[in-house]
Amino acid sequence: MVDYWNTMILPMLEGAKMTVLLFIIAILISIPLGFLLTLAAKSRVKPLSWFAHTYIYVMRGTPLLLQLLVICFGLPMMPVIGEYLVLDRFTAACLGFILNYAAYFAEIFRGGLLAIDKGQYEAAQVLGLSKWQTTTRIIMPQMFRVALPALSNESVTLIKDTALLYAVAVPELLHFAQTAVNRDFTIVPYFIAAAIYLVMTLLLTVLFKWLERRFKFE
Amino acid sequence: MALMEVSNLKKSFGELEVLKQITFDIEKNDVVAVIGPSGSGKSTMLRSLIHLEEVNGGSIRVDGDFLVQDNTYAKPQDIKKITAKMGMVFQHFNLFPHLTVLRNLEIAPSLLKTESPDAISRRCQDILQKVGLSDKANSYPANLSGGQKQRVAIARALMMNPQILLFDEPTSALDPELTGEVLKVMKDLAEEHMTMIVVTHEMGFAREVANKVVFMDGGEIIEANNPEAFFTNPQNERTKAFLQKNIK
Ligand SMILES: Nc1ncnc2c1ncn2[C@@H]1O[C@H](COP(=O)(O)OP(=O)(O)OP(=O)(O)O)[C@@H](O)[C@H]1O
Ligand SMILES: [Mg+2]
Repeated sequence: MVDYWNTMILPMLEGAKMTVLLFIIAILISIPLGFLLTLAAKSRVKPLSWFAHTYIYVMRGTPLLLQLLVICFGLPMMPVIGEYLVLDRFTAACLGFILNYAAYFAEIFRGGLLAIDKGQYEAAQVLGLSKWQTTTRIIMPQMFRVALPALSNESVTLIKDTALLYAVAVPELLHFAQTAVNRDFTIVPYFIAAAIYLVMTLLLTVLFKWLERRFKFE
Repeated sequence: MALMEVSNLKKSFGELEVLKQITFDIEKNDVVAVIGPSGSGKSTMLRSLIHLEEVNGGSIRVDGDFLVQDNTYAKPQDIKKITAKMGMVFQHFNLFPHLTVLRNLEIAPSLLKTESPDAISRRCQDILQKVGLSDKANSYPANLSGGQKQRVAIARALMMNPQILLFDEPTSALDPELTGEVLKVMKDLAEEHMTMIVVTHEMGFAREVANKVVFMDGGEIIEANNPEAFFTNPQNERTKAFLQKNIK
């Protein structure tokens, strides 16, 4: 039993740590980045808005796995600059997830902005608030509220997408499960992995439900 | 000099000419009721005064300063200063749903640092009391009735100490039994000599509270007079037709 713990569960928990780490890094950076992309897409500066729209289209229109492969294996092969683009695997993977998820979050925030009545901007204007004050004090909190359910969904998807790390050989949860399966000829590790994913998504769901209650404004 | 002077105001949305040569003066302490059929340009006129719409011609002068003079707008900082002399109350309240009643009132003065925090919170209490909502200070707008929401909106506008208060159909979104409490607050303001321009369908309010009634149709001011003369002895055929339809 102790043996089982040491050879199977511990490495898997170790792998889960990688998963959680990636998740936290990706979500903490891609949410603000997504918001900036939304602002850029809405910007009156044409090249900026054009860039943001194209970026969002490309990132959402191609598989995340393909993007990860390009960043991990493709970039280093580029002529001349390639050798400077060899990133440590985990860093490269983080970058891939951040760039990809920022595009999804940008779409979510865009929907949140569309849901805000133009009367809110007008009320802020006649009260004399600046553009910046209006955005940060009036628009963003409401946008965040509207976006919460979609953010929650996307975050659960992100947890599961971390399994793609397997394909770029970063030792995460699934990697250790697979190793154990191959070594011990048992499928139990798959179920343990599933249980760990479920615990993580459950925690996340509870967190978002709490946030939704907090930001109910009633 | 009048508190507000509007001359030859013109505004088009694309091909559609919505305001044609609008000219009027507002004196201090005036309560002006603006009435007219749907689509006649009442909202557009009101919104132009506080720079929610940009006009295509004419002048607006507030308390001596030109917001726009012969179709040339003031500099952005000046526009801010001039529009700060006015407050606006909207048909659909436009309260900030994520803030409590108290925060709705405080947010603009505290961000703009127009007064000390102490003074702001004191005035919040006073103004809430005035509109009869002291007990709702910590409620969110979602938990208020329409009449209460509109009273909060009026209170929020008052927090900025406007010289002129603009109302765009403040009771049109309310259930009939809730219009009274809002009209009462507006009547109190009139008695305290607040200068107001009120776009309204409430003929009773126009008649009893306003000291001037302006009738608009097709982007023009057709007739303007004191309520007594306006309602008992309208001059223009269009005014007569409108009144016939709207007063039983
Ligand atoms: N942003 C806009 N773009 C295009 N047309 C507009 C816009 N705002 C108003 N209009 C048009 O301008 C005309 C005048 O509108 P306005 O809202 O000023 O009328 P109103 O007198 O306030 O009517 P109501 O009593 O229905 O509120 C209408 O024909 C309307 O369709
Ligand atoms: Mg209107």
